[in-house]
Amino acid sequence: MVVTGWLLRRAARHPRPFLVSAADGTRARLRCEAEIARRRWRPALSPAEAGLLVVCGAPGDELSEAVRTIWDGLPSPRARADLPGDASHDLVAHALDRAVARLADGAAPGRPHGGPDPGDLPMADRGPDRDGLSLDRLHVPLGPVLPDWPSGLVVETVLQGDVIQEATVRWLEDGEPFWAEPWDRAAAGRPVTRGEAGRRRAAAHLDGLGRLLSVAGWPAAARSARTVRDRLLADAPREALTAPYERLARQVRRSGTLRWMLRGVGPAGDGDALARLEARLTATRAAIGSIADEAPLDEDRPAGNLLNPDLLVGAELATARLMVASLDPGPAVAHA
Amino acid sequence: MPELGLLALPLALVVLGLAAAGLDAVLSGGRASAPFGEIARLLVQQRRRTTRPDVLLLRVGVISLVAAPLLAAVVIPLGDAPVADLSAGIVWFNAMEVCVWGALWLTGWSVNSVFPLVGAYRFVAQGLAYELPHMFALITVALGAGSLRMSEAVQAQQGLWFVVWMPLAFLIYLVSALAMAFWGPMSQPVGSDLAGGVRAELAGPDRLLFQAGRYALLVVAAGAAVPLFLGGGAGPVLPGWLWALVKTVAVLALLVWVRHRVPAVRMDRFTQVSWLVLIPLALVQLLVVGIVVV
Repeated sequence: MVVTGWLLRRAARHPRPFLVSAADGTRARLRCEAEIARRRWRPALSPAEAGLLVVCGAPGDELSEAVRTIWDGLPSPRARADLPGDASHDLVAHALDRAVARLADGAAPGRPHGGPDPGDLPMADRGPDRDGLSLDRLHVPLGPVLPDWPSGLVVETVLQGDVIQEATVRWLEDGEPFWAEPWDRAAAGRPVTRGEAGRRRAAAHLDGLGRLLSVAGWPAAARSARTVRDRLLADAPREALTAPYERLARQVRRSGTLRWMLRGVGPAGDGDALARLEARLTATRAAIGSIADEAPLDEDRPAGNLLNPDLLVGAELATARLMVASLDPGPAVAHA
Repeated sequence: MPELGLLALPLALVVLGLAAAGLDAVLSGGRASAPFGEIARLLVQQRRRTTRPDVLLLRVGVISLVAAPLLAAVVIPLGDAPVADLSAGIVWFNAMEVCVWGALWLTGWSVNSVFPLVGAYRFVAQGLAYELPHMFALITVALGAGSLRMSEAVQAQQGLWFVVWMPLAFLIYLVSALAMAFWGPMSQPVGSDLAGGVRAELAGPDRLLFQAGRYALLVVAAGAAVPLFLGGGAGPVLPGWLWALVKTVAVLALLVWVRHRVPAVRMDRFTQVSWLVLIPLALVQLLVVGIVVV
């Protein structure tokens, strides 16, 4: 018991958080990610790796169900923090502190050893693959909860091996209002500067860039992108942002491996993943350049990308994830 | 000396593995103490059970992932002589490292979950891409030394380290070292795009063994580069074992650092390069060494 208690207390100092964000939880997620980076915790890639589940915002029915499944599967000792979408810094820090205290106590035991035997699960059906072999067809949903995955996106796939044979795209919610907020406020007649919108836009680009770099297996560069993003959202002045951003952009552009891996991936109207990365870097630079602009915001929010499921058919999972991350898609907006 | 090595070997693996994990944590923005925290956490953490796992194969998989690098390490000289100076030591090293293919496949397959299974597919593809150039690099060393014995490979480098006149083989070895430990640019089998791939469903003791095995593999891959290419324990002033240690740490630090500089490489693109560029380069290197030796 003494040893276990000591191990629990040691372990609690190094929790592995797993974040889930609802559409309205973006602000809380960003604050939480910044706080986790400040505490030098390392986020978990999967629920099995995690000891701390953080739910940001108010999930809808389907996402709630997914969160429940994840919480049930989180191995003990575990803790959970539910943050409101507009959680302040203090609230985030306080919630994380409380979770750590619970982890150190070893409270909240998980379900003893997994779920019940499901009885007669059907075997996977089979079908010919691209080489004419008869292979298992697995029905695998990607999302709604997956690290570095757009909020609210579900891609229902049929997989053979790691190749996507069929794909349908669903969105659980209407997109993240946080990223559209300056434009929404301007549309409501309130005063918004171009600089304010530029700041939000640059942060959105860097948030997406972080996901892309992480999916591309380059966590160090993803972290740099998120650091600049967090500084943008902490209202750092332009002078404090330009140098770190340029360093990041230079590092990303110089990586021959990254170019090699993105070239020809997910060709769409605006080119391949590499062309989209270049466009995103250019747009981020312009947005950061505009954050001191005091002129009133008088333009519409640039339209986001849509995800065409046909693009994913025939792709391997790795390429499909790069396609999604490089498009950084949002749901089609009906009212616009 | 072999008896001492029997004690020193596991100790060296643990210390170097922890050092690698600590360096990696710091470079990842974590704290140097993170590996100790993670060990404590995994020791008290519950196992995770997926629907209908094949528990026996899972145990075999994660345990052989630890056993393979341990067994590979016995032929690596810690200074003058390895724990077991087998007459076919280089082949033994290669054989043990190939056991990792089985270990990873069993682990990925047995948990009965899609992402680990896809991770296991990826490792098999990775094996096909890296193993041939890797074997040619090892054969080049054996040809240069005129022996498959590790200690004789070290002795053959008394005048000139193999890295100097077999630089291509050394570079190919480093690439394959990353691949065999599925580390850094070669980490797609445990990729973040698969929520951790092969290890996505592992928790508690299973994950602890998996991670320990992976770091042990990385240490062994770095450690084997020393007798194969870097003159073993040769060096001025310091004793042989200390030189071997210093060189191992240098290679290990390089491998850890690469993870933070280079994104992951997908096998659908790398295999082509491996077969069309690395294998011919390895053969050219072999030819050059063959001509020099004859």
